[in-house]
Amino acid sequence: MGRLLEVKNLTTNFHIGVGCVQAVRSVSFYLDQGESLGVVGESGSGKSVTMLSVMGLLPGYAEIKADAIRFDGKDMLNISPSEFRKIRGGDIGMIFQDPMTSLNPLYTVENQLTEPLRIHRGMSKAEARLAALNLLKRVEIPDPEQRLKQYPHEFSGGMRQRVMIAMAVACQPKLVIADEPTTALDVTIQAQVLDLLDQLKKTTSTSTIMITHDLGVIASMCKRILVMYGGLVVEQGTAREIFYQPKHPYTWGLLHSIPRINQQKGEKLIPINGTPPDMLRPPKGCPFAPRCRYAMPVCQKYLAPETVLSGTHAVCCHLMHEKAPKVERQV
Amino acid sequence: MAKKPLPLIEAKDLKMYFPVGGSLFGKRKLLKAVDGVSFQLYPGETFGLVGESGCGKTTVGRTLVRLYEPTGGQILFDGTDIAKLSEAEVLPYRNRMQMIFQDPYASLNPRMTVSSIIAEPLRYQGVKPQEIASRVRDLVQQVGLKEDHLNRYPHEFSGGQRQRIGIARALASHPDFIVCDEPISALDVSIQAQIINMLEELQEKLNVTYLFVSHDLSMVRHISHRVAVMYLGHIVEMAEVRELYGNMLHPYTKALMSAVPIADPDAAAKSRRIVLQGDVPKPIDPPSGCAFRTRCPHATAACAETVPELTDMGGEHYAACIRVQRGEI
Repeated sequence: MGRLLEVKNLTTNFHIGVGCVQAVRSVSFYLDQGESLGVVGESGSGKSVTMLSVMGLLPGYAEIKADAIRFDGKDMLNISPSEFRKIRGGDIGMIFQDPMTSLNPLYTVENQLTEPLRIHRGMSKAEARLAALNLLKRVEIPDPEQRLKQYPHEFSGGMRQRVMIAMAVACQPKLVIADEPTTALDVTIQAQVLDLLDQLKKTTSTSTIMITHDLGVIASMCKRILVMYGGLVVEQGTAREIFYQPKHPYTWGLLHSIPRINQQKGEKLIPINGTPPDMLRPPKGCPFAPRCRYAMPVCQKYLAPETVLSGTHAVCCHLMHEKAPKVERQV
Repeated sequence: MAKKPLPLIEAKDLKMYFPVGGSLFGKRKLLKAVDGVSFQLYPGETFGLVGESGCGKTTVGRTLVRLYEPTGGQILFDGTDIAKLSEAEVLPYRNRMQMIFQDPYASLNPRMTVSSIIAEPLRYQGVKPQEIASRVRDLVQQVGLKEDHLNRYPHEFSGGQRQRIGIARALASHPDFIVCDEPISALDVSIQAQIINMLEELQEKLNVTYLFVSHDLSMVRHISHRVAVMYLGHIVEMAEVRELYGNMLHPYTKALMSAVPIADPDAAAKSRRIVLQGDVPKPIDPPSGCAFRTRCPHATAACAETVPELTDMGGEHYAACIRVQRGEI
């Protein structure tokens, strides 16, 4: 399988009045064809900004630096805005968190669904309408003929998210980026949408990147996971490596913060104390050090280098150094 | 928990209808947000109330503390029916019932300092100013904030810290009962656990009773002693927490629980989601008979005719489903 996306040392800064927010600090990752990658982290960890930087969707005051961003063999750092527009919505589809605000309330669903088909695939109005109808059928919207003529406000939250998915996959993209696609939905509706995304993944060869803070969603949807904290990828590995052999104290903390199924009654959750770092003034060393119960003096001063544990598993933590004390994850 | 103390709060056939729409020519309709729910809350316990948006769980919480005047039914607080009391008559009970809100950004007045936010309920109680100051300091410590936070304004705090301020405010009047309305859903995962642990510790120390309203089923399971599941204004199932999560009876509960993604890749690969068809019906226009029948995989013609009663299926495990009651499913 070939590399579909490769990002090397991506750094994104936002210059705002009071200083510079260092949202993403030298993030590298890759995605193979047909792969499903999950990005997990708390608000402000840089997971959305990383993807928006790759997509070129950030406002002008964002400063994006990278050694390389390659998508499908193209150098995304040096392409013209018009070429970029051809890729976005064409080869890369996007699903956003809030289906209420990411559809245009003034246009019918037909109008919005046919737009990418006409622009990227050069279809005629009639062809695009037929394709849109099929898309609505594929995302299992009942009564698609009628629904095409309606406006977004006439759809429920779950149905709107289905429309968003239909739009994202309209041009048979090579990559779909879903940013918290089910966060705004109720659990039973979330189950419907996840099921649909699962089916689309199986029936097409589309690769997916799913950004979420929900460990449950990521465990059931993604094969490989990036854990982000303070604008850095602190650990990455396959889903089984992250859930069963996590190595970074932040990953441990995340996994302990949620109640487990087999947890005994009366057993306490183990929270991560403190609050996430202020990215206007990120700490000099490891961003997690102030909240980490295993922090050593070196953690305050230097970022940890990446330690590669397997072909897929890598972690950035000073505890991996051979002279560091051996600590065991508390269970 | 000791067996059967007197309930602190008892809701009997509680109803809360809201008039909606209506114009010169159109008729006003009634939105039956809560349509006849009954349950008891015992001192020192956490009662979890779960359901999807629009099921009426928040309305139940708000009605219990009399933020709304219920349309029908009774609310027995320590034996007194407070459902029909006037604003002035209900005031003495207000001190004993408090609320923690979902949105820590919207529920604190941005123009008040932390100390005046926490002191406000005390001033209403007529506590002397000198005592207020020391009580406020105690409260701030209890919720894990520092004294030098007292003169700051809400915008200077993170979401988790704001929720702590809201909890301190709720604790100020020594309440017996606190409605926690989605207290953690606006917070990050690592912060959620901090707040949940604090709520549990406060309960152990102060023996306060919680109504924990949430859509997060795994957190409800973690914190609650008993749980009720709501759907379109009705309680469909209610039981002690281990019994409910271990032995689900109602088809809606089963679907709801199976829909929760499991944070464990191997278990997630094995589990089967029961995917319900369609959306929750509009509460303004609920289906006849059992409200869940339009999405229920087991619905029969009889389900459209009668509204199922919440019935004890043994061991105080209640379910409202005629097919479960007949032993068919």
